[in-house]
Amino acid sequence: MKKQGIVTLAAMMALSMGLSGCGGDGNNTKNATGNAAAKTDNAQAESTTGAGGSGKAEKLVFWTFVDAHQKFMESMADSWNQSHPDKQIELEGTTIPYDDMHTKLLIALQSGVGAPDLVDIEQSKFPNFMKGTPQLVSLNDILEPELGNIVKSRVEIYSKDSTYYGIDYHVGATVMYYNKELLDQAGLNADDIKTWADFETAGKTMLEKTGKPMITFEGNGNWSWWPAISQQGSDQVDKDGNVTVDTPVNVQTMQFFQKLVKEGVAAVAPGAGHDTEEYFGYMDSESAASVFMPFWFMGRFTDHMPDLKGKMIIRPMPAWTEGGNRSAGMGGTATSITNQAKNPELLKEFLSYAKLSKEGNIQIWKQLGFDPIRTDVWNDPAMKESNKYTDYFGTDIFDTLLSVKDEIAPVNIREISPKVFDAIRNEAIPMIFIDMADPAVALKKVQDSLK
Amino acid sequence: MQQQINREPALASKPRNRLANSQHLAPYLFVLPFIISFLLFFAYPLINAIIMSFQSVLPGEVTFVGLDNYRELWNTDFADALYNSSRYTLFTLLLLIPIPLLLAVMLNSKKMPFSNFFRSTLFIPALTSVVVAGVVFRMIFGELDGALMNSFLHLFGISSQRWLYSSELSMFALLVLASWRWIGINILYFLSALQNIPSDLYEAADIDGAGTTTKFMRITVPLLKPITVYVLTISIYGGYAMFTESYMLWAGKPSPQNIGLTIVGYIYQQGFQYFNLGFGSAIGVTLLGITLAVSMLQLILTGMFNKEE
Amino acid sequence: METVQRKKFTASSWLLLVLFAILAVLMLFPLYALFLASLKPASELFRYGLNVRLDFDVMSLDNYRSIFTGKGEAGHYFEWYSNSVIITVLFTLLSLLLSSMVGYGLGMYRFKGRNLIFTLVLIVMMIPVEIILLPLYKLTVSLKLINTVWGVILPFMVAPLPIFFFRQFALGLPKDFMDAGRIDGCTEFGIFFRIMVPLMAPAYGAITILQAMNSWNNFLWPLIVLRTTDKFTLPIGLASFVTPLGSNYEALIAGAVLAILPILILFLFFQRYFIEGLTVGGVKG
Repeated sequence: MKKQGIVTLAAMMALSMGLSGCGGDGNNTKNATGNAAAKTDNAQAESTTGAGGSGKAEKLVFWTFVDAHQKFMESMADSWNQSHPDKQIELEGTTIPYDDMHTKLLIALQSGVGAPDLVDIEQSKFPNFMKGTPQLVSLNDILEPELGNIVKSRVEIYSKDSTYYGIDYHVGATVMYYNKELLDQAGLNADDIKTWADFETAGKTMLEKTGKPMITFEGNGNWSWWPAISQQGSDQVDKDGNVTVDTPVNVQTMQFFQKLVKEGVAAVAPGAGHDTEEYFGYMDSESAASVFMPFWFMGRFTDHMPDLKGKMIIRPMPAWTEGGNRSAGMGGTATSITNQAKNPELLKEFLSYAKLSKEGNIQIWKQLGFDPIRTDVWNDPAMKESNKYTDYFGTDIFDTLLSVKDEIAPVNIREISPKVFDAIRNEAIPMIFIDMADPAVALKKVQDSLK
Repeated sequence: MQQQINREPALASKPRNRLANSQHLAPYLFVLPFIISFLLFFAYPLINAIIMSFQSVLPGEVTFVGLDNYRELWNTDFADALYNSSRYTLFTLLLLIPIPLLLAVMLNSKKMPFSNFFRSTLFIPALTSVVVAGVVFRMIFGELDGALMNSFLHLFGISSQRWLYSSELSMFALLVLASWRWIGINILYFLSALQNIPSDLYEAADIDGAGTTTKFMRITVPLLKPITVYVLTISIYGGYAMFTESYMLWAGKPSPQNIGLTIVGYIYQQGFQYFNLGFGSAIGVTLLGITLAVSMLQLILTGMFNKEE
Repeated sequence: METVQRKKFTASSWLLLVLFAILAVLMLFPLYALFLASLKPASELFRYGLNVRLDFDVMSLDNYRSIFTGKGEAGHYFEWYSNSVIITVLFTLLSLLLSSMVGYGLGMYRFKGRNLIFTLVLIVMMIPVEIILLPLYKLTVSLKLINTVWGVILPFMVAPLPIFFFRQFALGLPKDFMDAGRIDGCTEFGIFFRIMVPLMAPAYGAITILQAMNSWNNFLWPLIVLRTTDKFTLPIGLASFVTPLGSNYEALIAGAVLAILPILILFLFFQRYFIEGLTVGGVKG
């Protein structure tokens, strides 16, 4: 009987070798850890050398964590193929759960095998991929000619030592989403709210007339405080990567927001964040009159808050001082090319087409509902064409955006940023908005814990 | 499975090499699949992980840093994680050993009506994946008034709670989730062992006039010892390895003030979310040390290493 | 499936019945709530949380329809389903055979190195998989197992937990059967397959459902090994419905219900074997 066991095992081993079927992955025992020279020939890693790759179309593997991004890239590949018959590509997109996609990518890049050619990397994860020697391809030659046409900070956040490694989908301009119906009930006009002081006054009227809070803040997230400090030229981390969470401006901003909560003018979002099921239900049933979130949050309204259709309007954020900035660029996802890509030159051309060209940027609005990084398309007639966003918010969306175009300060994302974001989200903000601790104390505590 | 097992005896009756079947060699052949699997798939990764725990591992830049990673363990996050994991483990041991044992004994009792039906029912939650269970329980413990737990509280005139924002309440939620998923499994373990207790032992005890409690303490408990030790060991390990439950309960976001941070969660955070693989490995090796030490101690104390003949 | 002897319905039987009825309701309640949620639009869920309100006006099969008509990722659902089935069946059969052998060997025989091997089993069981992910990935790549079913199955096939369980179970097996077998001229493996395997039937029952369940729900390792959408398993596919940038809750909830179904059917179908045990022959020596 003993042979039975051994034979079974051996047979399975043999079988498994035979079944693995990826003929091309010959050079795979590469040891990425240490030998930088080995990197270049890793470029032929198995991902791109799949069976039958010798045909005309170049096979490109693309990973993302957003289904809609995959569809967008696929559609761009289709139109690329129509206009570039000599450079056919076959884009193979895969959507993988968010955290897991980044984990998988880290492992593939660290081990030197199995990475995709093209990949989406979310902004707060990006610094991880800048550690050590970045395993991504420099995009300088496609970006430099376009720097004048795009919002530069949207590629600078994905750079290291003046080498650019990623291109964002959008600007992420933070805007105010007002529920016009509720404002009307309280006799308020969104266009009269110029500063945060105006906003507080309006909020008190709202509370008095309707009993509802004017606005909600995230109790376990970054999207309320960060845009507000960014408006004032402050940030969580400075240019050199020093933690600056407890600067006077940052503390005062938090104190002001906490005061609004104490007054009842603001509420902490149910689910403690704006991107939660609880908040969608709360907002959809008209429980608060406004919220400020980046531009990409539009999609949450259209998809998860159907009852507010036609009631919401988009306006600039209130400024902190007369004439101050009325927006902030928040969040984002970069598309990068990995150094395991077999044909980086072709990929760069395609990436430039998909994310830097006018056509691409117009499609980013049409398909994804994002504010594209090329601001010269913002007043293109295509932006007023009817789609699910204009049906929901009206056709003046880009008028608002154009009015704040030059009021978007860059944000600093450095190696320590993921830790800072987590500490703010998990430590400071719950302390301030849930336990109602003094913001000065809470922010100081986080500052100290981050050295 | 059935067929496979039943088919084997026929093969076994063929003539065999005598040496290979000797009582001395046979045990090694029995354990051979594990040895092969260990050498092939675990020896290298395990050693590699231990080496990484002394390194700073960055893309293209791996450097030896001595004990730095282990020194770094002395921080409040790790302390939080260790505290949460230990507390969770302790509570799951207290809940998930005695209760399933008693329930299994009841289910095995002749007096139990519809025993098979209940055995199946209690097991069904175990079939759900942690991912699904996490989603369901996150909503059950949602903060809205209409969420299940809150509407349950309302029956007693208690107001809605923010379950996932307090250390105690969220630990309660985790334990409810753990009990829901694991009671059925542990019952199954105990039942399989109970079924192998010869019924004549109980019959003999009946003749001697032993009561239910006496029979339970004198026959059932001692004979269940190997399985109880097994359940205890895997519960210790399972408690310290808990991560997905808390990950899903907070929807993949870090929990406020680390109230849901577990040791494995900390490995995941440091290793993959901050890309600090060296430090992650150091946490992992430490965790392995802790669980292994606790389990070994417990196995030695229960005599499970020196098998009594 | 019920074979209750009505005559023995005593007071304690009633007590047990009530106790277990309450327990059963508690255990099934979350799944019932999930099932109800799968029939409602997501906005209902957002507003009221997971609840058990029966509101036939908002209930429909739309969520399921969206999976079956295959919009986007949801369209891969059946591919993921069949991948999960293949992996689960292979993994369960192999790990059952191999780990019962190892566990039996460790439990029944006294031999040099036994404690060492048992310790190694415990170590393999307790290694946090996160820290060996990178080296194990490299290894799997060099064995050319990436993006294959075998890459998912092989590394964890000789599973430590079942080995440990079979070892503990074997500790309780009667040694005299072994001697009797030897006298009858059985080989050591003959004794195992002819005498001991039937005796361990309840253990096989328990481990079958356990391994099947683990394999069906396994997430992290398949995620790392499998690279293309068509190779994904169900849990990976389901998780990709929830992304921070726009989630498809309807598909997630309906998908979750459908994910439980096959393993539930398997379980109900075979529950007689799993639960009642396969007490063939007897230990009544």
